Amino acid sequence: MNASAGVGLVRSELRKISSTRLWWGLLVGAVVYTAIQAAANAALAGRDPGGGQPATAALGTAEAIRAVYAGSAFQGGYIFAMILGITGMTGEYRYQTITPTFLATPRRSRVVLAKMAAHLGVGVGYGLVAVLAALLVGGSVVLVRGHDPGFGADRLWPSIGLAVVAVGLWALLGIGIGTLLRNQVLAVLVAVFVTFLVEPIATFVLAANDLGGVVRWLPTNASAALTSPGSSLLDYQPWWAGGLALLGYAVVLAALGMRLSTHRDVT
Amino acid sequence: MEPSGQSIGHPIEVVGLTKRFGAVSALDELTFSVRPGVVTGFLGPNGAGKTTTLRCLLGLVAPTSGRATVGGRHYRDLEHPLDTVGAALEAASFHPGRSARAHLQVMALAAGHHSDRVDQVVEQVGLGAYADRRVGGYSLGMRQRLALAQALLGDPGVLVLDEPANGLDPAGIAWLRQLLRALAAEGRTVLVSSHVLGEVQQTVDEVVVIARGRLVRQDTLASLEGGPGAVLVRTPTPGPLAEALGHLSVSRTADGLRVEGTTTDEVGHLAHQHGVEVLELTAEASDLEQIFLDLTGEPS
Repeated sequence: MNASAGVGLVRSELRKISSTRLWWGLLVGAVVYTAIQAAANAALAGRDPGGGQPATAALGTAEAIRAVYAGSAFQGGYIFAMILGITGMTGEYRYQTITPTFLATPRRSRVVLAKMAAHLGVGVGYGLVAVLAALLVGGSVVLVRGHDPGFGADRLWPSIGLAVVAVGLWALLGIGIGTLLRNQVLAVLVAVFVTFLVEPIATFVLAANDLGGVVRWLPTNASAALTSPGSSLLDYQPWWAGGLALLGYAVVLAALGMRLSTHRDVT
Repeated sequence: MEPSGQSIGHPIEVVGLTKRFGAVSALDELTFSVRPGVVTGFLGPNGAGKTTTLRCLLGLVAPTSGRATVGGRHYRDLEHPLDTVGAALEAASFHPGRSARAHLQVMALAAGHHSDRVDQVVEQVGLGAYADRRVGGYSLGMRQRLALAQALLGDPGVLVLDEPANGLDPAGIAWLRQLLRALAAEGRTVLVSSHVLGEVQQTVDEVVVIARGRLVRQDTLASLEGGPGAVLVRTPTPGPLAEALGHLSVSRTADGLRVEGTTTDEVGHLAHQHGVEVLELTAEASDLEQIFLDLTGEPS
């Protein structure tokens, strides 16, 4: 495949995303969820949560500022980016558009690769918009609490950049999940179930058994390595290792999906 | 797009094509070929294996054995598939929230076509006024036109259309007939499936008839229609005429006779020889639908 054919395929996938309304519905969700996260993070920073839990970093510290902006943008955006990725693949089977897609591009692995590139790009876009929402809403709450917005805080901007990358990688992860599980409803339910329930429980159980080295490689914790450098709560990977771990999850799932699912008959 | 050398039709070859879905045999050693320059009807009752055959040809379904090729090549090996083969399968393969124009833009981008081409095919199939509406609101006829626009997008030399007349109104069917005949006259290969022979009877030159995944007959439409038919004779003297035609199977009608297994030439010649008055001689229209049902073994 020459370069211009590859560019055409990616543009075709981008046009698929832009020509239905799902992308902005999910983007609105990401913005609202990010705004709530940023407002809560800014309002609760440094306060005693009660119940013997450790207090989060005080609002004046760089760690708290990074959590309000970079942390909130990731927390608010990644699930929506993942759902965009999952539906980007499973929607083709749900609406049978996989037939014209494979007619135009009979080499099916090329379709998956083009989808990964397009969704990584759109996911990064989601991350950028989420960052804007976090800066606006989180910054306002910080001001209201009588603090400096802290836009010059230590390592804030690298942290924000990595949060944007992390959101993009979750869209890529969504393509991997959707390639493996072609049923749209099942894929979204399994992904949300694993992310919100299985992974936190696994984190708790593994950490309690002194398996922190494993815990750090779970997807959400690998993401935290990108968004929360130097966090006092958990000992994460270096940021690049976390990013590579996310990329690895996406690639392994997509490769498994291509092996098990994508070559099947389209009837 | 330049009307290039790729616009010359390639033959479609189906050789020993067999497809089993689990224990179900959908295609069984199916062999036929389709040549450029004519419209070929691909006929068979529902469930005969027409769609499975077309999906094997288009690389969407992997055959259990045998092959289906275009110009000797498998679909997935084509350099520019949409520019070589244009396909319209069942009219449901559209995202309901996407407009016709956007659907075609998606295809055109993937195939490397100029965006002007989308506007051209939208006009060609008569969707211009509706192209920016979401497909979810389309009638079946409009979806068929969109499917056809998709097939025409790459100006391909080979067209494969699955039940394209389904859902079209009479004016739409007449339009489709003209379009398909014009495309074949340009030297393209045109394969049109249908489960109703009457639907394509006036469009096709050749027919491939299958039933239960096997080839029943490949022939020209003319020879399918031909063969010994029946002749209707209007005569004031049916008695003497029946005697003159003694060796033929004759039955009385209201104003004459019906003679089976012969031609108007033979009846006219015999009537003249025996000096019997004949007012009118007509070849009875052969009932193609009945021939089709006989061939495919469907109870009529």
